[in-house]
Amino acid sequence: MKYFAIKSRTCLVIIALLLAGCGVSNVVIEGSFPTPNIAKLPLSIAVYYDDALRDFAYMEYTETGQEEFNIESGTSHMQLFNAILPAMFDRVVFINSMDDAPAQGVDAVFVPAIEEFQLALPAKTKLDVYEVWIKYNMRLLTASGDYIADWVLTSYGKTPQATFLSPEEGISEAAIVALRDLASSFSLSFSQVPEVRDWLNTL
Amino acid sequence: MKSFQKSKIMQVVCGVMLLGGVLAGCTSTTVDEFRQAETGIEHDESVVILGRRQASDYETRSEFVDCVGDRLSKGENAISVIPEQEFVDAMFPWFEPRTAPLRTRDLERLMAEQVVAEKMNEFGVRYIVWLDGFTETTGRTGSISCTIGPGGAGCFGFGSWEDDSNFDARIWDVSSATSVGTISTDANGQSYLPALVIPIPLIARVEANACSRLASQLKDFVNGS
Repeated sequence: MKYFAIKSRTCLVIIALLLAGCGVSNVVIEGSFPTPNIAKLPLSIAVYYDDALRDFAYMEYTETGQEEFNIESGTSHMQLFNAILPAMFDRVVFINSMDDAPAQGVDAVFVPAIEEFQLALPAKTKLDVYEVWIKYNMRLLTASGDYIADWVLTSYGKTPQATFLSPEEGISEAAIVALRDLASSFSLSFSQVPEVRDWLNTL
Repeated sequence: MKSFQKSKIMQVVCGVMLLGGVLAGCTSTTVDEFRQAETGIEHDESVVILGRRQASDYETRSEFVDCVGDRLSKGENAISVIPEQEFVDAMFPWFEPRTAPLRTRDLERLMAEQVVAEKMNEFGVRYIVWLDGFTETTGRTGSISCTIGPGGAGCFGFGSWEDDSNFDARIWDVSSATSVGTISTDANGQSYLPALVIPIPLIARVEANACSRLASQLKDFVNGS
């Protein structure tokens, strides 16, 4: 009887391990981002990250509809904006609520949002690269919450499949490339967005 | 009888390894150089080697870029090479896949940006070398099967494949914002994987050879010799 109990326990452990192998993989995007070398705009900007951006996660499903990868990138997006915005503007303040903006005496409030996240895995595309594509909605508001500008930005990152590269590492590396792509296009194109350009001319 | 069988197996394994050693060395490499202007480099000047990553279906591996840089900075007539990631991070966001200059005209425009020109001066960059290419594996043939039994384990079979590396190095002179030349490398070789109890990989070092030959030619080119 005792032998049977040990055998059952061992069997349960093996089943648990097998099931764990079939479960969803959690990928937390982590990386450091360099400071852009660009001329600063003489602006005072407040930055507001809403909960949707702070907690952003994307779930990739298998072809049979099973959960495969849960990609958490909210924190890395905040780290990225925290690195690039102070290099773009004279003064940057981070606020926890839109209600805090008027007291900060800022020229505008920047509110980034992720609209879409797409992932392409080598196992599905039959290409030798991991690809990440992200669509953003960037909003610039007055301190009282009125509209200044609203524009769409896309970023793309890919990393080649390698012998000792796990899918989690491949996804993470491609996402970091996509985030750097966002940083480069956002920092270089900000003052060329027609609505932003018009607003800058009024200051 | 048993020892006779063992020595027979050892003879076959040794024969395969010897044959493989000869065959594995069979990597052919062709290097073409196209020079557009005179070159030369001072002791306080540096070279940066960057991989092109604009293509949709491939990207130049950073390991290959590092390999060429490593070889360029060692040995006789060594050249000071700035590591790719250090340069790209320091120049951020001007040398990202989306923003990197594709033509020398773009470099000229980029150098008009004060922050870029200052950073370039800080690094002492005289030449930018753009590496573009990849290694393709084709013609995979054969099969190997491995078994585990109470008496032991073993693999039997034979596999082979061909690797083909094609890389271009375009050299830009930062001081004049012009292209000074192109070096192209094409290396190919056949790899074999015979398995007689244990698999014996006989790998053709195609990409390593491409790196070595390209770096050696590039060193001479930049030094103007």
